[in-house]
Amino acid sequence: MALKLDYMVRETGTNLVRNFSLTFASILTVAVSLSLVGAALLVRGAVDNATARWEGGIEFIVFLQPEASDDQTDAVERALGDSPQVEGFSYVDQEETFQEFQDLFADSPQIVDTVSPDILPPSFRVVPTSKEADVISGLRTQFETQPGVREVVAATDTIRTIQNLSSLFQRIAFGVAAALVVAASLLVLNSIRMAMFARRREIEVMKLVGASNWFIRVPFMLEGVVQGLLGSVVALGTAFGVRAGLSQIATDRRFTLFAGFTVDAGQFRLTGVLILVTGILIGALGSAFAVSRFLDV
Amino acid sequence: MIKLDNVTKTYNKGDAAALRGANVDIAKGEFVFLVGPSGSGKSTFLRLVNREESPEEGSIFVAGKDILELNSWKVPYLRRNIGSVFQDFKLLSNKTVYENVAFALEVIGRPKHVIKSQVPAILELVGLSKKLGSFPHELSGGEQQRVSVARAFVNRPLILLADEPTGNLDPATSVGIMRLLDRINRTGTTVVMCTHDRSIVDTMRRRVIELDRGAIVRDQHRGVYE
Repeated sequence: MALKLDYMVRETGTNLVRNFSLTFASILTVAVSLSLVGAALLVRGAVDNATARWEGGIEFIVFLQPEASDDQTDAVERALGDSPQVEGFSYVDQEETFQEFQDLFADSPQIVDTVSPDILPPSFRVVPTSKEADVISGLRTQFETQPGVREVVAATDTIRTIQNLSSLFQRIAFGVAAALVVAASLLVLNSIRMAMFARRREIEVMKLVGASNWFIRVPFMLEGVVQGLLGSVVALGTAFGVRAGLSQIATDRRFTLFAGFTVDAGQFRLTGVLILVTGILIGALGSAFAVSRFLDV
Repeated sequence: MIKLDNVTKTYNKGDAAALRGANVDIAKGEFVFLVGPSGSGKSTFLRLVNREESPEEGSIFVAGKDILELNSWKVPYLRRNIGSVFQDFKLLSNKTVYENVAFALEVIGRPKHVIKSQVPAILELVGLSKKLGSFPHELSGGEQQRVSVARAFVNRPLILLADEPTGNLDPATSVGIMRLLDRINRTGTTVVMCTHDRSIVDTMRRRVIELDRGAIVRDQHRGVYE
């Protein structure tokens, strides 16, 4: 079939320009919906990464009193060794804790100056066998009451909060995005229908002189695909912004909680591809429906 | 060239019969007038031949092929062999005379060099070689109809269907259009024309098929209007 490229490109271009307001509305809706999808996916990726960072390392920290006796320390160590819920643990003494402290507050020497190793708590960094909430809280109650223990910190509390917030955000974002995807498809459908109405006389003549069905359909389908594509390109821009924002937060020392809250290149590429494909799909489906329903060839 | 075999076409779920058990056989190169009052089924006849409509019963053959058996994607190829002319011209107002005719070749994928040679030639044939760059609204009715005939004939179809082509034209202009259709007919193209124009039918003395409420009531060689 001889589908002339220059003809198709010209027709598609004219259609897009002729119906600018509706075309713009379609593109904008595609852009907003896919921006939400992209943002939600990137935040999820960041949360997964942050969680993985915690889960790969220490899940559970038992801080001892700085003045805990060696007997007390040994007792805690034995209890950890005996506990079936503990997979492994390591002891961080006051010197090492001081090192960490210095690293953490490297840019605030006046804070570091006020601290000496002997006031810092030594700790056991513990990897539990399971990350289930009840296992963690069981361990916590066991060691909190142990003599010489100052505090037990379970990383899951903060991580859970982040995960909960993120899953709430994702659910809202995906819900709104789903509604907007439907709206975007309908808008594409309508703008294609308008374009067909504007060209109804041309279409009539084309049918009369025997233009093949695909020759008549393709410019309209192409128009829908271009709308979807333009929308997804805008959404891609938003995704870049979201990624930059996340890494900004991750590197900001005021939010140490969010360290590791970044999206790696692979995840970002995947999200980008998904945005593009979805945009093209929205355009193609909307225009395909318009063409099959309203273009009686 | 065109054969209708016991064709029945109804509208409104059988209430209004547009064509009832029509049997017609039109040979290659014939010139046929379809006459009869409005609503007698003349336009339906034409719309059935290029498969804009399908009948409830019967078969329709064009150039020996049963067109009701055609896949819908093949219908455009049927229509490339059938030129159509209408009372209201159906020209594209935003295109020039040249572009209107070229459009018909362009959308069926003819190469540019073919378009460049065919379009001026056909416009010469219909006597509009001096108006290539005019827009339809700058032309008289007769000139517009010539453009429409040129568009219908530029692809050298086997059949030309004309639905009241002189319906909007004054008698003198109509004669000019009829000369043109006659000339096209002499190249071997089968012409089927619906008309209410008594003087044209009586002057040309060609085959006349008269329809009345969907039935063929007369089929006469070298016939007259009544």
